[in-house]
Amino acid sequence: MNVTFTSPVTASYSPSPDAALTLVDESAHAKVIVRAKAGTPARASLAQVFAGSRESAGVLIAGTRPDEWMLLGEPTAVAARVADLPMDGHVSVVDWTHGRAQFRLSGAVATSALEKVCGLDWSNDMMPNGAVTSGSVAKVTCDLIRNDVDGTPSYLILCDRSFGQYLFDALIDSGQEFGISASA
Amino acid sequence: MSASSLRRLPEQSGEVIDRSQPLKFTWNGKTAVGYAGDTIASAIAAGGNRIMSRSMKYHRPRGLLTADFWDPNAFVQVDDEPNVRSGHRLLTAGINVGPQNVWPSLDYDIKSANQLVGRFLSPGFYYKTFIHPQKLWPAYEKVLAQFAPGGTVDYESEMAYFDKRYTHPDVVVAGGGPAGLAAATAAAEAGASVLLVEHEHHLGGHLRYGTDADRAIANGLEVAARAAGVEILVDSTVTGRYEDNWLGIVQRSHPIASERLIKARAKTLIVAAGLIERPYVFAGNDRPGVLLASAVRRLINMYAVKPGERAVVFTANESGDQTVEDLERAGVEIAGVVDARSGGNITGTEGSQKAISSVTLGNGSSIDADLLVTAVGWTAPTSLLNMSGDRPVYDPAAARFFPDRTPDNVLVTGGLAGDGSLDELIAHGSSTGSLAAGRAAAVRHRVQAATARAAAVSGPEPDMPSDDRVPLARAAHPELFRSTTHGIVDYSEDVGSKDLVSATKEGYDSVELLKRYTTATMGPAQGKLETVNTVAVLAEARGETIAEVGTTIWRPPYAPLTLGALAGRIFEPERVSSIHPWHVAQGAKPILAGQWIRPEHYGDPQAEVTNVRTNVGIIDVTPLGKLDLQGEDVPRLLNLLYTNKWSKLAVGSVRYGMMCAEDGVVMDDGVTGRLEENRWLMTTTSSGAGTVWEWAENWLQTAHPDWDVHITPVTTAYTSINVAGPKSRELLARLTDVDLGADAFEYMQVRTGTVAGVDDCIMWRIGFTGELSFELHVPAGYGLSVWETLMEQGADLGIAPFGLEAQRIMRLEKGHFIVGQDTDGLTKGPTTGLEALIKLDKDDFVGKPELAWSMGQGVGDGEAPELPVLVSVQMTDASIVPPEASQILAPNTTEILGRITSSRYSPTLNASIGLAQVPPALAQSGTVLTVLLTNGDRTTAIVQEHHSHVDPEGSRLRS
Repeated sequence: MNVTFTSPVTASYSPSPDAALTLVDESAHAKVIVRAKAGTPARASLAQVFAGSRESAGVLIAGTRPDEWMLLGEPTAVAARVADLPMDGHVSVVDWTHGRAQFRLSGAVATSALEKVCGLDWSNDMMPNGAVTSGSVAKVTCDLIRNDVDGTPSYLILCDRSFGQYLFDALIDSGQEFGISASA
Repeated sequence: MSASSLRRLPEQSGEVIDRSQPLKFTWNGKTAVGYAGDTIASAIAAGGNRIMSRSMKYHRPRGLLTADFWDPNAFVQVDDEPNVRSGHRLLTAGINVGPQNVWPSLDYDIKSANQLVGRFLSPGFYYKTFIHPQKLWPAYEKVLAQFAPGGTVDYESEMAYFDKRYTHPDVVVAGGGPAGLAAATAAAEAGASVLLVEHEHHLGGHLRYGTDADRAIANGLEVAARAAGVEILVDSTVTGRYEDNWLGIVQRSHPIASERLIKARAKTLIVAAGLIERPYVFAGNDRPGVLLASAVRRLINMYAVKPGERAVVFTANESGDQTVEDLERAGVEIAGVVDARSGGNITGTEGSQKAISSVTLGNGSSIDADLLVTAVGWTAPTSLLNMSGDRPVYDPAAARFFPDRTPDNVLVTGGLAGDGSLDELIAHGSSTGSLAAGRAAAVRHRVQAATARAAAVSGPEPDMPSDDRVPLARAAHPELFRSTTHGIVDYSEDVGSKDLVSATKEGYDSVELLKRYTTATMGPAQGKLETVNTVAVLAEARGETIAEVGTTIWRPPYAPLTLGALAGRIFEPERVSSIHPWHVAQGAKPILAGQWIRPEHYGDPQAEVTNVRTNVGIIDVTPLGKLDLQGEDVPRLLNLLYTNKWSKLAVGSVRYGMMCAEDGVVMDDGVTGRLEENRWLMTTTSSGAGTVWEWAENWLQTAHPDWDVHITPVTTAYTSINVAGPKSRELLARLTDVDLGADAFEYMQVRTGTVAGVDDCIMWRIGFTGELSFELHVPAGYGLSVWETLMEQGADLGIAPFGLEAQRIMRLEKGHFIVGQDTDGLTKGPTTGLEALIKLDKDDFVGKPELAWSMGQGVGDGEAPELPVLVSVQMTDASIVPPEASQILAPNTTEILGRITSSRYSPTLNASIGLAQVPPALAQSGTVLTVLLTNGDRTTAIVQEHHSHVDPEGSRLRS
């Protein structure tokens, strides 16, 4: 039987090469939530403090809550990392790949676009590369991760899948004045 | 010289107009030409037009007064936009500009007859005159509406686009004059991120309409600020200061938006708003041709407009003196200079209503002139300081208010703080900027250290720098508010000094009362021109000093802004399931359920019901709330949240449960299944998903942090599809390897497996429709794929999609209640008829004490309350479906006994059916209820034996 993955972003967009901002739909990437009680080996294995993130073997490990981590990346890499997790004690793993839309907004003026839809302080001091937080983006609750690419500011924005199309369009609208290229 | 440039001066240095870009527009029905850089008012004035508007109440002709944002006489209609401040709005090509509220024309306005009865239009006229008889008020209202000021709203106009931005600068500087620019530069050079907000189109404040040397200094300050990295907004205003320096800033003339509202959280605010020139009160002070000195200097030096031919200048300060020089350079004959510093005064103007012809001096003599310029002092616009908690203090020696005490994170510089040479003002600005940066750094260190995601801070928190600035001196200035004659105080509201004296005599002798009674200071200028004169006239009337009278407190906004700006961008999040594109393609009628867009039906909901009862149908139920629960203490949590018992639910089984709040009121319901020993899936109502999650987390985190339970919301991780109908098993069997046999997969059981090629699907045998049905929870990215496969594979079985409306009909046929529809904020658990699910023998659960009392098993001797009962009803007339919420009345009375909570026409029964809340006495089967319809008619309904109208034994869903 043919099985087709459908992204939450179903409209089509034409990328424009010279835009100052790029918005890419990365919803097909794997996203796994791990929750681990204090003192569990899983917690030590993840070794990432709350509100920060780091790359490890192709997986971005983000400390999204004091006892919660999100593992992001290509499905095989994330699956391998999850398989390596020690599950002793109170540890839970939930595959959120299908439950969250994931977008990447990149560009030197990315924070200017985000300032139009989100009340957080995006300055380098308050949101340095690797920082993880959550907040309202265009009135949608999102997980937000600064994940610069080759020195260019870049932000991962994850929201409930059902809001995906709405939020993608809201971000495009926000980036219009700077020039934005969207691809989904 | 063309008519449209009668008063345009030859090209000069410092002008802000671009003569290479002429712009044609229409003023008052005639074609006119201005230049890029002109304000609408300067372009109109350049054409030789002196009358800009008619006053609000008396319709007196009015000309320019301040020639800037605050000009009360320069409101115009521009195309379909009313109330445009022509003294500030820049000219654009092709616009149609006209006067407001005049009839038949600006030159001949019949409503100016109001002046003849002006003595009767005293303050409070409307209150006193139209209060009796009250029944005539609607008639009065229609007539009075014809006299309402302002322009014309075009309701067909396209809505403008408004934008919003949030920002967190270290320092916000309100005001881009010399002190503000210097402060911004110093703060930025000290390492602060700085946002400078300038009200006008150009930086430099009064230097911009000064000499070439002044402008050179302004340009230098601007260059330095930009080089230091200051973000500069012109044509923007800090409209309000709120707690912890939360600032509202409106940015006008933004490239992509009519207005942009910026919400800034500044660590330090520097108020450098400058000073606003004050009009003088005397007879005839509102005659066209009477202008403030700053207005004249703007017109001449910035817009190259000659403001008159023969001028009298009444001056009390250096600004007035400089105006004389500007006028002479512009070729205006100086007919006289009246110097208040040496005792000179003016008492009135003479001439027609449309122009002055002479000025009457204090000594009784008069001088012929078509222009009177006044320079009598300044108002300190202390609004942002008031909003910061400061109560400015009046200094009679300087004839203006000064700040008293501001919080550490609000600093003042420039004219608001004091006087001095330009160098002294700039130096004060610089030291203020440095201080602001130091204080912002201390705040930033504290905030950063307290925020987990922020970059690490080094060292201890720095001390808040003390204020070691050298204060600015205060220059002496004569107190000049009102002459020996009476004149207009509030140009916007047409309130004169005589009105204020009269109101004071009536007893409105406190400044707050006087303001509200007369409306002085309440017009579009928001008191910037009128407040001090109002207070001065009141003080004079009371025989007291201005300090003794006090002043009103300026509140936000500093300057009026549009409702559109306040609303900003409209964000209305919408949620859709993965199958949404298919629903759209099939032409499903959408319905908004909360934020979800769902298919209400696909054309014929009645047929959809019949198909489910006969064949098989599928419905997208993705919004159903879903929570993944993991941990060995999940049963304890479920026992706490639900009213029934959960400890013994076997793996592979599901159970229905009801949740009540602490007061016993039904909060939510749903089924929860045990997927593995320590993994459960809870479903909630669609609208209750978020609430139940937060509620459960609240109990866990506050009351039972020792329990090992992890809750993860997975509502949209799965696309949920209900496959319902007698042929549902046959259809699903084609798509899954799970044994669907009635014995292998019983009603109220759960299985996991592959469906339509998709792994990790969850299937449970439950249903809301009363039919044999399977609820599929499919990884959402494959939801559309599974849906399309079901439609394809079920074609020969008569499959058809069904929407929310068909589901509602079928659940009503089955007698299932909906929380929030058939219950309300007072409906306690027993009302629903599910007493059997309220297990009072459990140790504890949320709402137990209240429910025990409700069921007659409470502590003490109190009687159980008589709770309403939810019953199933059928109308005696099947053709009548009473609207939901129809009242149930006692027969032949209007006493309300209950209500219909749900109602539909049942195609299965060919009957009008419903659920109703009634008192216990009416809950017996066969009771005839009287139902009031919305048209006033009454009909009857009969209480049924079971909630379920269809298959009460449940044989279909258990088949």
